[in-house]
Amino acid sequence: MAAVAQTGTTPVARKRRRKVDWVAYGYLSPALVTICVLSIVPIFYTIYISFTNFNQMHFTSYQFVGLQNYKELLNPHDPLSNLFIPTLIWTIVYALCATGFSYLVGLALAVLLNNKHMREATVYRTLLIIPWAVPTLITMLAWQGLLNDQYGQINGLLHGVFGLPRIPWLTNATWGRVAIIIANVWAGFPYMMTVCLGALQSIPTDQYEAAEIDGATWTQVFRYVTMPSVWRISLPLLIPSFSFNFNNFNATYLLTGGGPPNSNNPFLGQTDILASAAYKMTLSFNRYDLGSAIAVLLFILVAFISWLQMRYTGAFQEVDS
Amino acid sequence: MAVTHRSLSQAGASPRPRKRGLQPGQLLRLWISRVIIWAVIIVVLIPMWFVFTASFDPSNSYISVSFFPAHATFANYRALFQGGQFLVWVRNSLIVGLTVAIAQSFITALSAFAFSKLRFYGRKYGLMVLLLLQMFPNILSIAAFYSALAKLNMIDYLGSYILVMLGASAFNVWLLKGFMDSIPKELDEAALIDGANTWQRFIRVQLPLCLPMLVVIFFLTIVGAFGEYLFAGTILQSPSNYTLGVGMYNLISGQFAKNWGEFAAAALLSAVPLAAVFALAQKYLTTGLVAGSVKG
Repeated sequence: MAAVAQTGTTPVARKRRRKVDWVAYGYLSPALVTICVLSIVPIFYTIYISFTNFNQMHFTSYQFVGLQNYKELLNPHDPLSNLFIPTLIWTIVYALCATGFSYLVGLALAVLLNNKHMREATVYRTLLIIPWAVPTLITMLAWQGLLNDQYGQINGLLHGVFGLPRIPWLTNATWGRVAIIIANVWAGFPYMMTVCLGALQSIPTDQYEAAEIDGATWTQVFRYVTMPSVWRISLPLLIPSFSFNFNNFNATYLLTGGGPPNSNNPFLGQTDILASAAYKMTLSFNRYDLGSAIAVLLFILVAFISWLQMRYTGAFQEVDS
Repeated sequence: MAVTHRSLSQAGASPRPRKRGLQPGQLLRLWISRVIIWAVIIVVLIPMWFVFTASFDPSNSYISVSFFPAHATFANYRALFQGGQFLVWVRNSLIVGLTVAIAQSFITALSAFAFSKLRFYGRKYGLMVLLLLQMFPNILSIAAFYSALAKLNMIDYLGSYILVMLGASAFNVWLLKGFMDSIPKELDEAALIDGANTWQRFIRVQLPLCLPMLVVIFFLTIVGAFGEYLFAGTILQSPSNYTLGVGMYNLISGQFAKNWGEFAAAALLSAVPLAAVFALAQKYLTTGLVAGSVKG
């Protein structure tokens, strides 16, 4: 119908039909105004602050200092540099581990659950989705209590029931990092499982039947029929979830508070990621200048990840369809 | 039930009925899968069970690791309500959540309507630009927000917190636009022929039809507001202004976590309704999300 109409009309007629509804801008204005005031202006203000020495000492009379803050953060010979680089490395490691393990666990469970002989799969799925449904604010704070070295029930279980030594979850840097990754995989795998399950169920059954007729083994079916579809559907969601974890302030700040403290760096703890570093710089130390500089560097990294995503997955291409 | 029904109808339709019995290999694989899933479920649920038991354990100590509380009482719950603080937190969170959710649904509906049904310059790439912009999370401009609010003397007001949370979410607009696109064009055209103006098309035709998705967005926004800590912890500083998140943070954080029992009770009381609302809303959403990515 539409095609007929389109081929039937001359370019002039089509142009006339594509008239602009100016009133559309009225409908858009509330969204545009709030996004401008609450997203765009703060971003530019952050960039501006990062070039000044705006902090508690210079709250009313701050000056433009150029790239001073960035030099302090990035120069390996500067005393502040052990603030940024180690935090950046840990941020990347954490985001990779949290996303990767969540995906692997979620995918494995989805494959196990996608068994047509398992009648009660819905029950299992409902139980496994619970960690996702509870706000991370509550789960991360609960993990903080559960992982308490002395009194926490996790250590109580490992020590009292399995006889393992008490693990210093929140007071040792390495174990603190392990704890953060465990808690985030716990909170993150249900989402991956749901996505993978959706992908698995969207595979047409005739592909499996064709593979069966060709005499493919179970592993071959998985390798050549299941995985390509799952990969195609879950990859566009994997990179955003990496960039989400990259900025997942709640996940580290509410669990360890960035601790344990760093001996050679008074500002940041050993499990702080860049997002919580920017937060602490602002709120605990009133160093708005350094907080903003960290945020700008983080902006650039997030932009790079988003660009990668656009480049390799073509997500959002269909937004305007 | 559904599976049985499907296989029965299949058997009726196809000339060669499929064998229903399981081969030994399949049976073995089924049971191995079951055992693995049971193990994972136990590991996943144990932490939650610990929180549950702690909320009924009056001794407020963690030392006893029992899978069932020895002397279960409601002492923690009573303590939580006696101070009255918990109700204040819930009230504050409700004020914030409802205000933000109403405003957000309205803003989202207006712009989704524009993107879906109206023609204007910037329609093609506008939404993509907004989505890209919002990939930068608000945490990154925390220094800008905090110093601006401090300069304007707006720290520690519930109102300024609501204001900060009001920003439209491009993701919600995208969700609702997708839903509106699926509403048959003929309805809109019929309204146009009947001489409806744009506002009538929006209020009378599109809005009632996309109400289910709008309700989902409304509830997800409320759940989001209850789970927000970043700005709440930044802006709200006096206990009478605490939202649920800030209040619970102050219950648990600290070296010795001495309010563990009360925290567990608060966590349980807030997590159960929030999780239920989230799960219900998500059920509608996940189908849409996966369908959207299949298309691409």
